[in-house]
Amino acid sequence: MIGLPSFRLHRPTSIEEAVGLLAEHRDDAKLLAGGTDLLVNLRHGLATPSHIVSLAEVPGLDRIDCSPEHGLTIGALSTLESLATHPGVEESFPVVVRAARTISGPTLRAMGTVGGNLCLDTRCHWYNQSFFWRQACGFCLKKDGTACHVAPGSSLCWAAYSGDLAPAFLVLGAEIKLLSVRGERRVPLDRFFLDDGLRKFDMASDELLTQVCVSATRAHLRGVYSKLRIRGALDYPLAGVAAAARIAGGGTFHEAALALTAVGPRPFLVEGATEILEGLRANDEDAIERVAHLARRLSNPMNTTWAMQPAYRRLRVGLFARDALREMGERGP
Amino acid sequence: MTDHWTARSEPLLDAEERVSGRKLYVDDLRLPDTLVARFLRSPNAHARIVSIDVSRALATPGVKSVITGLDAPRRYGVLPVGHDETALAVDKVRYAGQEVACVAAETEEIAEDALRKIVIQYELLTAHLSAHSAMAATHHLVHDDKPGNIEKEYHHSFGDSVRGLAEADVVVADTFYHPRVSQAATEPHGTLARFDGADHWTIWTSTQTPRHVQRGVALALDVPAESIRVIPCAVGGGFGGKSETFPQDVSAALLSRITGAPVRIRLSREEVFTLHRGRPENYVRMRLGLRRDGKVTAVECEVIQDGGAFCGYGVATILYSGALLGAIYDIDNIRYDGYRVLTNKPACGPMRGHGTIATRHAFEALLDQAAVALDLDPLDVRRANLLKPNSRTVNDLRVTSYGYPECLERVAEASSWKARRGRMPRGRGLGMAGSHYVSGAANSIVRGSSPHSTVVIEIDPSGRVTLLTGAAEIGQGSDTVLALVAARRLGLEASAIRVISGDTALTPPDLGSYSSRVTFMTGNAALEAATRLAARLKQAAGKRLGLPPDALVLAGGAVRSAPGGPMLLAFQDAVRMAAGGEGQLIEKGSYLPPGEAQGGRFPGSGVGPGVAYSYSAQVVEVQVNEETGEVRVERVWAAHDCGKALNPQAVMGQVEGSVWMGLGQALSEELHYSPQGLLLNGGLLEYRIPGAVESPPVEVFIVESHDPEGPFGAKEAGEGSVAAVIPALTNAIHDAIGVWITELPITPERVLAAIQRQGHGSGAKPALPRPRRRENASARP
Repeated sequence: MIGLPSFRLHRPTSIEEAVGLLAEHRDDAKLLAGGTDLLVNLRHGLATPSHIVSLAEVPGLDRIDCSPEHGLTIGALSTLESLATHPGVEESFPVVVRAARTISGPTLRAMGTVGGNLCLDTRCHWYNQSFFWRQACGFCLKKDGTACHVAPGSSLCWAAYSGDLAPAFLVLGAEIKLLSVRGERRVPLDRFFLDDGLRKFDMASDELLTQVCVSATRAHLRGVYSKLRIRGALDYPLAGVAAAARIAGGGTFHEAALALTAVGPRPFLVEGATEILEGLRANDEDAIERVAHLARRLSNPMNTTWAMQPAYRRLRVGLFARDALREMGERGP
Repeated sequence: MTDHWTARSEPLLDAEERVSGRKLYVDDLRLPDTLVARFLRSPNAHARIVSIDVSRALATPGVKSVITGLDAPRRYGVLPVGHDETALAVDKVRYAGQEVACVAAETEEIAEDALRKIVIQYELLTAHLSAHSAMAATHHLVHDDKPGNIEKEYHHSFGDSVRGLAEADVVVADTFYHPRVSQAATEPHGTLARFDGADHWTIWTSTQTPRHVQRGVALALDVPAESIRVIPCAVGGGFGGKSETFPQDVSAALLSRITGAPVRIRLSREEVFTLHRGRPENYVRMRLGLRRDGKVTAVECEVIQDGGAFCGYGVATILYSGALLGAIYDIDNIRYDGYRVLTNKPACGPMRGHGTIATRHAFEALLDQAAVALDLDPLDVRRANLLKPNSRTVNDLRVTSYGYPECLERVAEASSWKARRGRMPRGRGLGMAGSHYVSGAANSIVRGSSPHSTVVIEIDPSGRVTLLTGAAEIGQGSDTVLALVAARRLGLEASAIRVISGDTALTPPDLGSYSSRVTFMTGNAALEAATRLAARLKQAAGKRLGLPPDALVLAGGAVRSAPGGPMLLAFQDAVRMAAGGEGQLIEKGSYLPPGEAQGGRFPGSGVGPGVAYSYSAQVVEVQVNEETGEVRVERVWAAHDCGKALNPQAVMGQVEGSVWMGLGQALSEELHYSPQGLLLNGGLLEYRIPGAVESPPVEVFIVESHDPEGPFGAKEAGEGSVAAVIPALTNAIHDAIGVWITELPITPERVLAAIQRQGHGSGAKPALPRPRRRENASARP
């Protein structure tokens, strides 16, 4: 469709009013922040809300506070560009900035928000299509249908989580704040993402993601984010690997963590990587290979995109993991 | 009269209007009470239409009319041999996405809503989604009158390729595959049609070819062509994707007659990709024989093109693929077997570099394979096969100016070819290739012997010059180049000339803006008109000044005795004197290709002959990562022989754009269809055109071979450089890591697969379809 479907647009001017509207309309409402994900989905008939709650006039949600003493807090409405160009974050939490800089292109980063990127809808080439297309093909499990075209017979949706920031925050042990009329709760990010494209987040329909927090104890970890894509800009990741670690004076790994994105319905930490690497020398090729192998084994990309085959995406996850660990170790103490 | 052309770059006449957003595209036009229309498209790739019920759609408030196939059942098509389309499907649908019904309503939302209320019963037919399966089919043919789903096949043999190959010291052979790619022009197609009463229409549309649209709509509506006035608006890029009559043109016109209101149709980006009219899939099987010294003894080439559901320009495409094996190298023996296959996918079109891309890739790649086998430098192999200017090829193509040798030398020198090729660290490589293209087809696709271009120039008593041309300005700068040519002859600045282009009611006939014909053909017509005017002006001025006309020149807006000399008479005064009592000076010029340029006498000889050929040589430098298979183009050197650069800046832009478009096809662009024939990536996110990040520095060299028949020596600049970049890149990859990539796009996975194949020494490439040649095929016209 060329035009947008009809809906009622709400423009709350306070955070309380915003969550009030969400509580009132729940599943019938969608939040509008930067709109770079939602607007496309509206045109495709993938999102069909009767109410849209715009956050454009809600104040106070776009602050980035960063210090080695107090850690990092990022308001959910901060634009991706403000994060990608934040000198303090680059200094103290480099993996976050490196991930932010890979997202789409400058114009979309100027619109897109941190909260929107974390809550990105999962993607699949059988799903991200127009209404005409999906109807002609046969609607899928994720929207309007019952069958999965990726894994016929599956009751789970395999659409791939495609955010770039999530793995960077995961390796830093970030938490997020969710607000509703019922109050605020803090959720560790690695528990926020669920393994099913039909129920992607541990978030109720009346909740609003307000903030991402990283503890000061994770400041000054080295960090790398590598993204597989066909073009150097615009493209969503076909695989993404974030890595962070502290390299101690003697050149050993500490607090090392790896997380993957775009190789399954949720981004996730590579379980066991921290334990394998803890205290080992940063040039321990054997350990690096073991972790790379682990990352590759845990990744589970499916045929959710015609653009690259799962086998190649897994191959690159392993290479990214290896190269990230080497890069962090090589830069000396 | 001096014909010396001093090169000076001029901004395109409409540059400011375009970049400031003032230029009017179809979608900017507003007429009172305009209705908007939307198409209902087939969900099936191949199905019989059992019934259509539009009653509920028609009853929707705000809906003014609903039309279906039977409302305009007459067939049309751009080629006289290919009248196989209707605006809306009649009886059956032939591809997923084909237009089945069209709803005109007060708003797009109402139209969309009404579309969902149309009930169609389909009876599914076997869908032929690849050239392989289509050629094997015996029933449920795409068109009942095309057995084996072959639109057209040609079997051409010039010289004796069997003997040529026998005489070769080395014979190299390989297969090549190019998937479908799209033009993806910035502006989606759109049409605004108004029925003016008494069987007359005005159609504003986004087109390269106003006259073809005029003819096509008239055919479809069964009215005389004169009753249709086509006004091309500003076009936001064509690249061959806007060269035909489209369902939106016919449907808007018909709906306007029915409703009495203007009707506007704009296509979404998805619809533009669905409509396609881009490049077909190409399967090429080629054999090349060379002597030890690098001289080519013969080429044998088989091309199978999956052209989709309709003919379109398809017959021309499959002919170009074979004909342009000639006219760049001197080859005595050429054999060509071409098959244009119908499938249940959208029809293809004459995309930039029309028909030449895949065969050029194959040929230039095999030249390099042979060079490796013979241990020769690929540059020397190319040097060993050069043509002579003013010669005729074995397949009867007339070559006039020939700047290819200089193109080769320029890029070889600039890239330090001799010093660096084969001598860089593993992973880094240089590759070279050439290409060429017609500078306007010598034979019209419209039957008859009318001029291909006519230009009228009027000068009113105030001295204002207006140039009228039927060629469409599609962003390529045709208005500007025509103004430059006329201005040069009249001694004025290009900006002093107002160009009215394209409007079929106001402008003289011209075939339109395709096959890179405008600079050469319409330019010659403009030059002739301007020359006639200049003669009249000098005659009148001479009479007044008491000087022979030959002693006068038009320069710097005045009549002078020499270009830098003092003004003898103002231009305006000369105009008044020449016009006398008429008040206005009007002259026309026209262009008809010379008979000797029009090719041989054999079936299919009409396509391939150009009135001249442009040439391009390119060197690509590449970096290949053997672990990941990723390929990065570091730099491109491109030399293009455009005869004479009338506007060097515009030439550079065209060549850069060609290289960039070719690189997109080489690296990341391809259309994917689902197993049921639905286009999987009909959007600019998933159809991956390279961005600024992927664009390497492109160094352009203009080579001027001064064509004897081009206006001031000029030839085309917009298409000849598309093809070379692809084989230059694959040849560079071979230089870097020693593997030949023969399938596009060059994805990391394909590179890794090629490395692996080489490691295992097996040639397990995907199989190509095997055509079955029919005995009497070549006898048919």
